[in-house]
Amino acid sequence: MARAALGLAAILLLAGCATAGAMRPAATATPMREVLPNGVVLIVQEQRASEVVALQLWMRMGGRDEAAEELGLAHYIEHMLFKGTPTRPPGSIDTLIEGFGGTSNAFTSYDTTHYDFVVPTRHLRAGVELLADLAVNASFPPEEIESEKKVVFEEMNLIEDDPEKFLLRRLYEVAYSPHPYGRALLGRREFIQKLDRDQLRQFYRKHFVPKNMVLVVVGAAAPAQVRQLVEAAFGRIQAAAPSRGETPPVPTLGPARRVDVSRAEKQAYLGLAWRTAPLANEDVYAVDLLTSILGDSPTSRLNQTVREQLRLVATIEAGYGAFEKAGLVTVTARLEPADLDRAEAAILDVIRKVRADGVTEAERQRALITAESSYAFDIETAEGLAKTYGQAETTWTLDNELAYLSRLRGITAAQIQAVARKYFRDEDYARVRFVPGAPSR
Amino acid sequence: MTPVVLALLIAGLLAAPAAAQETRERLDNGFTVLVRENPIAPVVAVSLLVKMGTRWEDPTNAGISNFVHAVMVRGTARRSGSELAEAIAGLGGKLSAKGDVDDSEISATALARFWRELLGFTAELALEPKLSPGEVDGERDWLVGRIQKRRDNAPARAFDEFYAALYGAHPYAIPGLGTPESLAGIDHAALVAWYRRFYQPERMTLAVSGQVSAAAVRAEARRLFGALPRGAPVTEPVRSAPGNSGERRVFEQPAQQTQILVGALAPPLGHPDGAAVKVLSTVLGGGMAGRLFVELRDKRGLAYTAAAYYDPVVDPGAIVLYLGTAPENATRAEEALLREVERVRQDLVGADELDRAKGYLLGRYAMDRRTNERRAWYLAFYEIEGVGADYPERYRRAVEAVTPSDVLRVARQYLGTLTTVVLRPR
Repeated sequence: MARAALGLAAILLLAGCATAGAMRPAATATPMREVLPNGVVLIVQEQRASEVVALQLWMRMGGRDEAAEELGLAHYIEHMLFKGTPTRPPGSIDTLIEGFGGTSNAFTSYDTTHYDFVVPTRHLRAGVELLADLAVNASFPPEEIESEKKVVFEEMNLIEDDPEKFLLRRLYEVAYSPHPYGRALLGRREFIQKLDRDQLRQFYRKHFVPKNMVLVVVGAAAPAQVRQLVEAAFGRIQAAAPSRGETPPVPTLGPARRVDVSRAEKQAYLGLAWRTAPLANEDVYAVDLLTSILGDSPTSRLNQTVREQLRLVATIEAGYGAFEKAGLVTVTARLEPADLDRAEAAILDVIRKVRADGVTEAERQRALITAESSYAFDIETAEGLAKTYGQAETTWTLDNELAYLSRLRGITAAQIQAVARKYFRDEDYARVRFVPGAPSR
Repeated sequence: MTPVVLALLIAGLLAAPAAAQETRERLDNGFTVLVRENPIAPVVAVSLLVKMGTRWEDPTNAGISNFVHAVMVRGTARRSGSELAEAIAGLGGKLSAKGDVDDSEISATALARFWRELLGFTAELALEPKLSPGEVDGERDWLVGRIQKRRDNAPARAFDEFYAALYGAHPYAIPGLGTPESLAGIDHAALVAWYRRFYQPERMTLAVSGQVSAAAVRAEARRLFGALPRGAPVTEPVRSAPGNSGERRVFEQPAQQTQILVGALAPPLGHPDGAAVKVLSTVLGGGMAGRLFVELRDKRGLAYTAAAYYDPVVDPGAIVLYLGTAPENATRAEEALLREVERVRQDLVGADELDRAKGYLLGRYAMDRRTNERRAWYLAFYEIEGVGADYPERYRRAVEAVTPSDVLRVARQYLGTLTTVVLRPR
C-alpha cells in the first residue's frame, strides 16, 4: 500500500516535475541503513540490474508542514531546488545531469518531498555531491523565482481542467479539511503570486536540516564506496533540530461532507471517500487487498456490477491513499448526470455485500497477485527500489516495507471482510459530485 | 514510420557494457532462443521477434504487418482475446503485439514464477492465432481511425511525409500503420497468407529476461517451438534504393506550429560509420545541450522543439534534424538550422562538446537497459538484426573512439544532400 499511496499522490497532486517463484535473492535482499552523526539517514543497496545508480534525497517534509497561510511552499521549493547554487548557475544542473545521460525528477507529497537522479555509475560521486549541494546551498535566484510562477500556475490549470484529477483533489479537500491532507499541494494562486525569496529561504532553512534528510542510493555501486562519498558530502552538514509540528486530528466523515460542483463537462463525475487505516497501522494490508477487489481492474466488483451489469457508469475505480497520519479509500466514476443517485446507491450496495458476505478466495488470490506484480515491477529498477525505501523510511519503516509482501500474503478473506465492516459504514463517507452546468470553481 | 523511428532511436544505437549471463541456442528448425538470467526482481519479460515488417511491404499492402498483429491479439484457437488478457492478468502480467519496420513483436511480462505459463501464452498467440474473419473489419476500422488521428497530428504527419520524401520507392517510405486505401485492400485471406509466410521458425527469435533458469526456459522453448516445421524460404522483394532526392516539400494543414524536418540517408545498423553518425546527431540535437537547442531555442528563441537523431535499421537509416516553431519564425529557423549543418561540416567539434555528446549517448543507452522488458527486446533485436550478442560492447567502444575528425568526415559524407519537409498551418 505504500505503492497505492504513491500512485494516488501522483494522480491527485500532479506535483512531480520531470526536468528531463522466489522472491528477491538473499544476496540483494536487504539494504544497509545507517544514521550519520548529524542525523542524515543513509540507505544503500547494491543492485546490478544495469550500469546506473539511483540517488534520491527524501525529506521528512511536505505539504503538511506548511502553515495555513503559506500553502504551496513545499512544492515551490521543489521547483526551485534545481535552479542553482552559488557554484552552479541557473540551467547548469539540468545540463550536467543530461550530459551524464541521466535523468532528474522531483515530487512533493503531504508527508515528504524527494529529489531524484538516475546516472551512469561512473557519475556517482558527481551525483552525490550535487544532491548535497542542493540540500544546503540552493540559491533561489530571484529572476528564476518569478519565471517559475508561470510554470506553477500552468500546473494548477492542468489539474483544474482535468475533471478526474480535480475530482480527487476536491474529494480529498472535502474528506480532510481542515487537516493538511485536504490542502492543495500546489497552493493558492494569490499566495504564489506574491511569493518572495525570503519566504522560500526561510522555509528551506527550517526544513532542510540533516535529521529530516534520508539519502537512498541503489545501483551498480559498492556500498562501502557509496558510504564514503555520502559521509564526505552529507556528513559535514551542520546538525540542527528539526521542527515538525503536530498535525490536527482527522475529521470523521458523514452526510455533512457532501459537495456538488458545477462543471463545464457534459458528463458527471462521482467521488466517494471512506476514512481508513494510515500507514503503519495493522489494517493497511487488508484495506489494500479490499481496495483492489473493489475496483482496480475490469474484473473488480465495482466494474462488474456497476459498469458491466447495471451500466450506470462509463468508468469506475477504487484507490487507497495511505499516508502517515491517515488513510482514505476513494471510489470515483464518470457517468451520465441522470444516473448519479442510482450509481451511488449501487456502489453502496456492492460494499454492503462485501460487509455481509465477505470476499472469495479467488478474489483474494487475484488481489494478491496484482499487488505482488505491481511491487515486483516497482523494484525491478534501481530508482523503483530506491523509491520504496525512501517512502518507507520517511512515512513508516524500512522493516515494514521489507515485510510488506509476506504480511499481505498472510491476510485472510475474513480479515478483508472485517476491515470492510470496520471502515465502510453506510453513512460515514464524504462525497463530491461534478454536475454539468455553469462552472463554479 | 515514426513510432518505429522513435523506438529505434532509443533502442538501437547507443551502447554500454552488457551483463554477461546470457545464453543463446538455435533449435534444429532454426528457431533462436536467448535467455538472460537476471536475479534482481521476481519478474520475467518475453520478446518474440519475427522478421516481418514494412521492409517487406509495398504501397498496396502497407501496414499489413501491424494489421495482422492487431487481429492476432483478438483470440487464439483456445481462447478469446479477452480471455487471453484475463489469463495474462492472472499472472500479474501484460501482453501486446505490433508490427514494426524490420520486425514484428509479441511482448509479454509476468511475475517470474509464472514464466512457464507466460511462455505458453506467447507460443499460443504466435503459433495458434485464430485470425477470425469476424475480427478483420473491426480492427481495420480501429486502425483507420488511428491513421486519421495521426494525419491530424501535425508533427506525426510531418514525420510520415518526411520519410516518404527521403526514401522514395524504398519500403521505409511506408507508414507502419499503412494507409486507409491499403488497409481497405487487405482482406482476411491476405492477412492469413501474410502470417503464414513470415511466422516460420527460422525467422523467429525468442528472448527471455528475468528471474528464471536459462536451462529450464530453453527446455520449455524447445518443447513449445521445436516441433514447428521449417517453412518455405521467403522470397525477398526487389527493393529500390532509397531516393533522397534532396527535395524540399511543403504541406499545409490546420495547426498552431510549423514543423520543419531536414535530413539525409545514413549508414545501416552495424556499419563502421554508425558510431560517428550517432555522435554527430547528438552534437547537433541531443537534448538541451545540442547545438540546435542552444543556438535556435536558447539563444535566439526561434523554435520550441529543436532536436536531431539517427536511427539505424537494416537498410540505410536516416539522420533527421527537427524543429517545431511559430509560423512567423519558420523561415529564419530553417536558415539557422542549415547554418548549423554548414558549421558542423566546416569546423571540428570541440573536445568538451564531443565528451558531452558521448556521455549523453552512452548514459541514455544504459538508462534504456534497466528493465527486463527492454533487455529482452534488445537481446532479440540484436539477434534478429544479425549484429551479434557483443554488439552493445562493440558499440560502446566505437562511440568512445570517435574523434573530432570522424565527426567532420561523416558530416561531410552524409549531410551533403538534404531532403526537407515543411508542414505549416493553413
